[in-house]
Amino acid sequence: MDKNKSNKKPEKEDHQESRRDFLKASSILTAIAVAPATVAKAAEYNLGEKISAAFETTPVNLTINGAKKQLAVEPRSTLLDVLREQLNLTGTKKGCDYGQCGACTVHVNGQRVLSCLSLVVMQEGKEVTTIEGIAKGDELHPMQKAFIKHDGFQCGYCTPGQIMSGIACINEGHAETKEDIKEFMSGNICRCGAYPNIVKAIQEVKNGGQKS
Amino acid sequence: MIQFQYERASTAQAAVNALTNNSNAKIIAGGTNLVDLMKRNVMAPNKLIDINALPLREIRQQDGKISIGAMALNSQVADDKLIMEKHPLLSQALNAGASAQIRNMASVGGNIMQRTRCHYFYDTALPCNKREPGSGCGALEGMNRMHAVFGTSEQCIAVHPSDMCIALVALDATVLVAGPKGERRIPFEEFHRLPGNQPEKDNTLQNNEMILSVEIPDNAFSKNSHYMKIRDRASYAFALVSVAAALNIDGKVIKEARLAMGGVAHKPWRLKEAEKALVGKPATEETFRQAAEIAMQGAKAYKHNAFKLKLGPNVIVEALKNAAGLV
Amino acid sequence: MPLAWYSPQPERQEIMNEAFFDKKEYKPLDRVDGRLKVTGAAKYSAEYPLPNMAFAVLVGSRIAKGTIKSIDSKAAERAPGVLAVISHLNAIKVPGYQPKGEHPSEPSTNGQPLRVFFDNKIVSNDQPIVAVVATSLEKAQFGASLVKIQYTKEQHKTDLEANAGDAKLAASAKKNPKSPTADYERGQKDAFESAPVKFEAEYVLPTEVHNPMELQSIIAHWEADNKLTVYDKVQGTKMTQKNFAKEWNIPEENVKCIATFVGGAFGNGLHNWPHETAAIIAAKQVKRPVKLVLTREQMFTMVGYRPRTWQKIQVGATKEGKLVAINHQSIGQTSSYEEFTESTLMQTRMMYASPSVSTRYRILPLNLATPIWMRGPGEATGAFALESAMDEVAHAIGMDPIDFRLANYTESDPDKNMPWSTKYMRECYEEGKKRIGWENRKLKPGEVRDGEWLVGYGMGTGTFGANRNSATVHAELDKEGNLVMHCAITDIGPGTGTAMVQIASNTTGIPTDKITFHLGNSEFPNAGLQGGSSTVNSVGPAVLAACNALKEQLITMAAAKGNSAFTSAKPDDLMFDKSELQLAGKSAKTTLADLFKQNNIEKIETTNESKPDENRNKYSMNAFSMHFAMVHVHPFTGQVRVKKIVCCADAGTIVSPKTAESQMIGGATGGIGMALTEDAVMDHRFGRYVTKDLGDYHVPVHADVPDIDVYFVNKPDLLADPVGSKGLGEIAIIGVAPAIANAVFNATGKRVRELPITPDKLI
Repeated sequence: MDKNKSNKKPEKEDHQESRRDFLKASSILTAIAVAPATVAKAAEYNLGEKISAAFETTPVNLTINGAKKQLAVEPRSTLLDVLREQLNLTGTKKGCDYGQCGACTVHVNGQRVLSCLSLVVMQEGKEVTTIEGIAKGDELHPMQKAFIKHDGFQCGYCTPGQIMSGIACINEGHAETKEDIKEFMSGNICRCGAYPNIVKAIQEVKNGGQKS
Repeated sequence: MIQFQYERASTAQAAVNALTNNSNAKIIAGGTNLVDLMKRNVMAPNKLIDINALPLREIRQQDGKISIGAMALNSQVADDKLIMEKHPLLSQALNAGASAQIRNMASVGGNIMQRTRCHYFYDTALPCNKREPGSGCGALEGMNRMHAVFGTSEQCIAVHPSDMCIALVALDATVLVAGPKGERRIPFEEFHRLPGNQPEKDNTLQNNEMILSVEIPDNAFSKNSHYMKIRDRASYAFALVSVAAALNIDGKVIKEARLAMGGVAHKPWRLKEAEKALVGKPATEETFRQAAEIAMQGAKAYKHNAFKLKLGPNVIVEALKNAAGLV
Repeated sequence: MPLAWYSPQPERQEIMNEAFFDKKEYKPLDRVDGRLKVTGAAKYSAEYPLPNMAFAVLVGSRIAKGTIKSIDSKAAERAPGVLAVISHLNAIKVPGYQPKGEHPSEPSTNGQPLRVFFDNKIVSNDQPIVAVVATSLEKAQFGASLVKIQYTKEQHKTDLEANAGDAKLAASAKKNPKSPTADYERGQKDAFESAPVKFEAEYVLPTEVHNPMELQSIIAHWEADNKLTVYDKVQGTKMTQKNFAKEWNIPEENVKCIATFVGGAFGNGLHNWPHETAAIIAAKQVKRPVKLVLTREQMFTMVGYRPRTWQKIQVGATKEGKLVAINHQSIGQTSSYEEFTESTLMQTRMMYASPSVSTRYRILPLNLATPIWMRGPGEATGAFALESAMDEVAHAIGMDPIDFRLANYTESDPDKNMPWSTKYMRECYEEGKKRIGWENRKLKPGEVRDGEWLVGYGMGTGTFGANRNSATVHAELDKEGNLVMHCAITDIGPGTGTAMVQIASNTTGIPTDKITFHLGNSEFPNAGLQGGSSTVNSVGPAVLAACNALKEQLITMAAAKGNSAFTSAKPDDLMFDKSELQLAGKSAKTTLADLFKQNNIEKIETTNESKPDENRNKYSMNAFSMHFAMVHVHPFTGQVRVKKIVCCADAGTIVSPKTAESQMIGGATGGIGMALTEDAVMDHRFGRYVTKDLGDYHVPVHADVPDIDVYFVNKPDLLADPVGSKGLGEIAIIGVAPAIANAVFNATGKRVRELPITPDKLI
């Protein structure tokens, strides 16, 4: 790009100018979009002779919902994808895959975290609890009951994340007031808009003195 | 995401060695930013060095300062009694960032190292000098509503996204880092850099250095500080403008002041001239308004972010009013 | 064997009449699928574990217009686990790719849908052009990052305002002058010009994206060469079945669509999209079931959106507050290959008693993907302009905006010249005013404060057609009194199953826990789309019909066994009391078990269709809503906090009060997003969105949403359908955004005419 270009041109001209520059940078009429250079470089590195080694899986030992698991995973596999695709624990949801919605919330060693941004290899020796692991047999967790009672959901897709987050929110001591709950639950997006009912459910469990 | 090698470092030295031996290796702590960037092919390290086993989680008081380990979690620091008592500004800033889940994962070191959230940086189909040096700055004449008004260059107008860092720069923190030649301390204000002609460099940390801790000197701001963040929704969004304000008020006169802004520059933006304008003055809205005007000197707007020139000083005044207990 | 018939105690008879035959009141009921949803057991489209599953990832174009020059897939093909790299260069031919002018979706839009992997043409940025299929998701994602594509670029157009001059009349308007998209006039042509009070303004609604929490997902499984099963995130299983049968030139019965749970959709499942066909192609090509889940970015570019819309409105009124004329025009985006239209200007024609009204609806084809109806489609967009303008005119003449609206209340539909089937908006005005605390509102903006914050009150109204389609329900009753129903309808979240169980229970007296409603499967009896607020109005009557048919069978059976009390009985006379059958006003009674035993059967069953009737030609049928907002605005930082919302709805009978209330709360939440936060921003130099994930595209979070108070008029509209329901999904959001915008004006004196109202617009 032309580094000496003035910023003071009228908007429209500027617009066209920068467009031309971009086109110039990408060889006039043909814009070449390739895999980003970072990826291409890394791919080259990985795909050469080291190919077999690079794609070997790594063993990981962890506990999921109380059961010890020995898994063989690629280092790049996220906890979310392994739960859903390898272990068929599909209660944990993928809503964005970038840590922006909270649908994938699980507890790791009792803390709420986002499984979409957690690499499984980094969970060695840890205890993971998912939505499938909080009821005691047929007896629902108080938070699950409260969600049903207060209709804290519609489509149900964000619900497991909201419930896991809600339980942790109380345990953390961030459910003292309604405003606190709203702030500390803001990492769990509900597009159906069940928020007020979710808050009611959390308040009820909080006031009932329930802990996970 | 590309395949990469994964290694757990057992000592800081081992991590530094691993970085030294492979310039394409990266440290992973909480992973909340790095894993996201790797998923989107914005970053593609071929080796990750996991430092979670290192004993760097402690928050402790020592010799006139508080030291926070690089691996201390954002939520841990925000809820820490010592921090809440001595540096409530930091606690407040931390809780203004991201979500409870992310704060449970993200480390202090990782928060400092996080990359910009510029749209052009994140989309590999668009030009970005930070991601691909020489490809151009998409934001310069693009959709730059979220972008910087201070310290920009023709190469990059991205902002640093952290809230925590705004409080840390205001609190005169120091970053303790380890490298091949041992440890060194970097004043927080010098840690991050302006884009200049090398926007790909976010900070002054060398490729084979790692953060060990952050140190905050004791101060007299705990009674009168406030972090105010203005964003497009009530929570869980990056700042349009944020302000960390800390005052030491003696009677009605300001003895000391600290001010920093977020959402306005490639680095946490300390407002030293405005601080000077506050010292010795009464803690009134008028004083704050004058300081805010000084704070905005040299600010330069782009097509879609001119509002920051007006919002910025307003938020400074509001943050100071809150810090001074005028609201 | 006990006697089949006996006389109950007289006092018991009375109680029963009250409890069972006065079946007017629907009680709140916990969601019937609640347990599945809170335990994670509810299975959404991508959650069916099929053996030998392969994973597909789509690569989108990086230009907005042009052609693909070359695709270098070598590195991707060599990558471990990659099974295929599919593009127009090697995709199998889809036999039924429609000839020009035909569209596979119902209801049809005009034009040619995007045919994925068909040719080298690029018509929008991030158009799906390559699918990488691999043995795991990670391997497919990595493979996708290795595909190198070269393009020949052409000049694209994506900017609505810059290209507004190219806007045109929709083909549907040309075909049918009575279409909602056609130009409309009533009254005097130049009435506005001579009005004593003249108001004119332009309003802009940005592109908004449905962004349901569940990413669009499909598992495509060819169970045989000509037998396809899709687990697909759609709002119509029958639509999907028909479309893919046509697309693959196979009999409809060979296509099965399963959508038992749908993780929100808000309209984006009303169309079958290219990614679905891509997965089906891939499954055919790799001969394995293929799972394809869009990324969040792809949710912005591949499954529709609410089109950016420019509107101009002119309102003429008398100084006393009588409307003289409304002229309303709009331009909405569409793609270059399909004409998407919506009813943006319809309520302007019928909401108020303006003697003169004109509407001009235009569409602008751009190098974008095709939009699709998003909750309260069109009407929500139009209401932002109309209801803001009503507020602005009220302010201009110094009138309370509610009084102004009431002064122009219509007792019949001024557009269709028909009586309303029902309209209870006066009740909504009264109740809403009371609940929001309207008396605290000052006519002059900026007069009310709470500390530093400015306080404002606003309201807006909404309306949507009480739509009804034909629907069929199969019902089966066993000797234990378990009622099991089936219907192909989907449930994207409103609680369809719950509502249908309530209707069935209300009709029969069978307790809700003995009733099951199975849905979301194309093999079940026919139903249309879950869209346009039509589900309860359409499927509800079919449930009613099926329940009544079962009761008729029971009556016939009882009568045939010599019980004279039953010979002249009608379905309405019969109710269940646990496992006993009871006739109204009669002392006749039997148990189901005995009746089935006498007839030597295990169960009875029926299949019933219910269709809209001729009342639709005699009455204008609409649901109405009214939203009230109280906001706080910070004068220096521009932050808006919605402190309270009151939603009032005239939606006919509310069959499931609990889920209906949730639906209203959800609509209000969506309205907060429309008003304050949502904006899909595009960099037109590239024709590419820059806010395209949930971090940058802001949907409301917990902290944005206050207590929401819901009031239902809850009076049946039996002209609309036998359940008396008028629909809720759309009116829940229509009118919310202007209510908030009007409240912000009342707080600050600042009128924001381009949404969203972000802090920068208020300082």
